[in-house]
Amino acid sequence: MPANRPATWDHEVDVVVLGTGGAAFVSAVLAADQGAEVLMLEKTHQVGGTTAFSGGVPWIPMNRYMKEAGIEDDRESAITFIKRLTQGKEPDPKFIDLFVDNGHVMIDYLHENTPVRFATPKGYSEYYGHLPEALKNGTRSLDPEPFDLNQVGEWGPLVRQNPVFPPLTLAEGGAVGGIDFMKIAERMENNIVTMGRSLIGALLKGALERGIDIQLNTPGKELVLDDEGKVIGVVAEKDGEKIFIGARKGVVLASGGFEWNQELIKTFLKGHVTHPMSPPGNEGDGLIMAMEAGAALGNMTEAWYYPTMQDPTFEYEDHVMNQTGGGRFGPNSIIVNKHGKRFAHEGTTYNDLPRSFFEYDPVALEYPNEAPNWMIFDQQLKDSQMIITMMPGEEAPEWVDRADSLRELAEKIGVNPDGLEASVARWNEHVENGVDPDFHRGTTHFENILGGGGNAEANLGKIEKGPFYAIPVHLGALGTNGGPRINEKGEVISLRGNVIDGLYAAGNAAMGILGPVYTSAGGTIGPAMTMGYIVGKEVGAKEAREIKEAEALAL
Amino acid sequence: MPNGTHTVELQVPIENIWNFVSDMNNWAPLVPGYIEHEILSEKQSTWKFKGDLGFMKKTVKLQIDILEWIEPSKVTFDLKGLSDNFTGGGYFEAEKITDAATRMTGHLDITAGGMMGAMINTILKNFVPETAQQLTEAIAGKINEIEGVTV
Ligand SMILES: Cc1cc2nc3c(=O)[nH]c(=O)nc-3n(C[C@H](O)[C@H](O)[C@H](O)COP(=O)(O)OP(=O)(O)OC[C@H]3O[C@@H](n4cnc5c(N)ncnc54)[C@H](O)[C@@H]3O)c2cc1C
Repeated sequence: MPANRPATWDHEVDVVVLGTGGAAFVSAVLAADQGAEVLMLEKTHQVGGTTAFSGGVPWIPMNRYMKEAGIEDDRESAITFIKRLTQGKEPDPKFIDLFVDNGHVMIDYLHENTPVRFATPKGYSEYYGHLPEALKNGTRSLDPEPFDLNQVGEWGPLVRQNPVFPPLTLAEGGAVGGIDFMKIAERMENNIVTMGRSLIGALLKGALERGIDIQLNTPGKELVLDDEGKVIGVVAEKDGEKIFIGARKGVVLASGGFEWNQELIKTFLKGHVTHPMSPPGNEGDGLIMAMEAGAALGNMTEAWYYPTMQDPTFEYEDHVMNQTGGGRFGPNSIIVNKHGKRFAHEGTTYNDLPRSFFEYDPVALEYPNEAPNWMIFDQQLKDSQMIITMMPGEEAPEWVDRADSLRELAEKIGVNPDGLEASVARWNEHVENGVDPDFHRGTTHFENILGGGGNAEANLGKIEKGPFYAIPVHLGALGTNGGPRINEKGEVISLRGNVIDGLYAAGNAAMGILGPVYTSAGGTIGPAMTMGYIVGKEVGAKEAREIKEAEALAL
Repeated sequence: MPNGTHTVELQVPIENIWNFVSDMNNWAPLVPGYIEHEILSEKQSTWKFKGDLGFMKKTVKLQIDILEWIEPSKVTFDLKGLSDNFTGGGYFEAEKITDAATRMTGHLDITAGGMMGAMINTILKNFVPETAQQLTEAIAGKINEIEGVTV
């Protein structure tokens, strides 16, 4: 049950925001700009959540930076494209319009009122560039400009950092390789950050300038409801003590997804995500609080999936880090299941490929592609591409399984050797013929996004030169994207279809407004920040309620 | 080249310090993030430890080759990454102050190579001197404990 009203509030503000990711900061800044007194609570010891840890790229149709770069875009094309991808699986189509109409307004607002700055990444295009409905020239993705973290003073070191993302922008190769390591060293010396750290650094600066109070190590635990079921505050925890915080206007759940909560994962998701990729902390607290308050739910079976790989020598917060690392669809490689069989186009987007992991075989009565699956590659790929953290030209580290023959390799990793040999032989034949009739490698845009789209030359390569290598591919998630159902103001809706007064949700803590779709780079942060913008404006402008403590209520 | 030198003074005779330091097994577990080590020969050993860089932890394996033992005052060594691309070396020096007091210095330098070298060296710039300091102090602390010296 949500908490009863306390005898006294420890603090009283207009708006309490749970979380410090992109959705949280945008809503906090907007609420403050409507005149509200805002308090942000962050569960962990660092600020920024997955957003700071991420590429920090939002995908926003018709944004100002595209216009400046001469890239044409229009409302109808954007809506048609999103609908082509959602296939009707979005929770409610009106959110597609809402997103397209408000995303670019949100970007304008941040540009004009905060230090947040983006650029259109040069040479970048859209993940689904091969679809007729996709934008053909340029991209709707936005690349945060480098930010001098010294500007936020003592907060700087508290901004979360992805240890494997160098301080380069997307355009400079921060997420994909082709990297200038001298520039990285120079930026590190000078505390210049990019990607998610830049986005959060700039939002943080905007929040601090507005006097928004940010409390770290202070998780929201329960909502406080009044007798009519209105949300009037939060019970949080600080230094092991419960604190009661009254919220005159409302509480915003922007506490991320539930990817670190195995029970919720197993309850709701189709695929068993075993390898979350966000910082630990996103355990579905907002979802649990919303359920306690009687919220209806939406998009619960979905996540931002990712076929993740590990370098076991890298740990982040006491977990081996689940990395976005490169190499997955290099030409001289395939992905096979435990039977040694290919089962999907290896170079499709990270949110698409893992959907083939959940397949059920009704005859064999098993999930043949249940992770871990295996990326199999040869020395040619090893020599030519960075694979996770392995640099070309350097000897493969101890933790990578390798063998001189495919058979030996299969035996080592527990994959069917006949299956693997047959799959590689068939793959090599396809390479010879320049087409992959089984899964169409070399035909999608994403697999060669920086080279103008997939083609046989770039994406098909024989696996023939030993030693042969194998790396497990796990079912990961950048975050989940189901949560309390919201309306167009970001207000949480109850199971009975009514607004739960005083309760708002945005980002991964809320129902994903575009359903299962990851439109392109920035497909999660774009909608998260847009809903943060809408929520912040709404809750900030709401009339302050009287939120009296209970007279002498025993707790 | 990331490096660090740290000196401490101990109210312990130089011979006792040498006795402790000359057997790697005595102080190996005091290396920050120590996981395991293996003595391959009088001059060669391999080490595995988990370096805490603050924003992440990295497990590395390295090989140490002793270059010279100058009893009772100095041991110098080379180090080479087995899991990652880096090289370096260091020394440990003891200097007699009085019959009952010794100045002890630890030095470490580690330089990352390869394409990522410049970037990794920026991270190592703080990590290496911190490690040199922590290790020297941990060894001093252990020697004091064994010798019953209270500080
Ligand atoms: C490596 C990586 C790269 C990515 N790159 C991109 C990209 O470039 N573009 C893109 O669109 N998406 C990207 N994603 C996904 C994207 O980062 C997330 O989907 C998005 O940042 C979620 O934003 P959010 O504001 O909803 O939540 P988050 O940024 O996860 O923030 C939630 C915050 O709430 C805190 N919290 C949790 N529980 C509580 C509680 N009880 N009380 C108070 N605080 C709480 C958490 O600690 C966290 O700080 C990436 C993800 C990863 C892992």
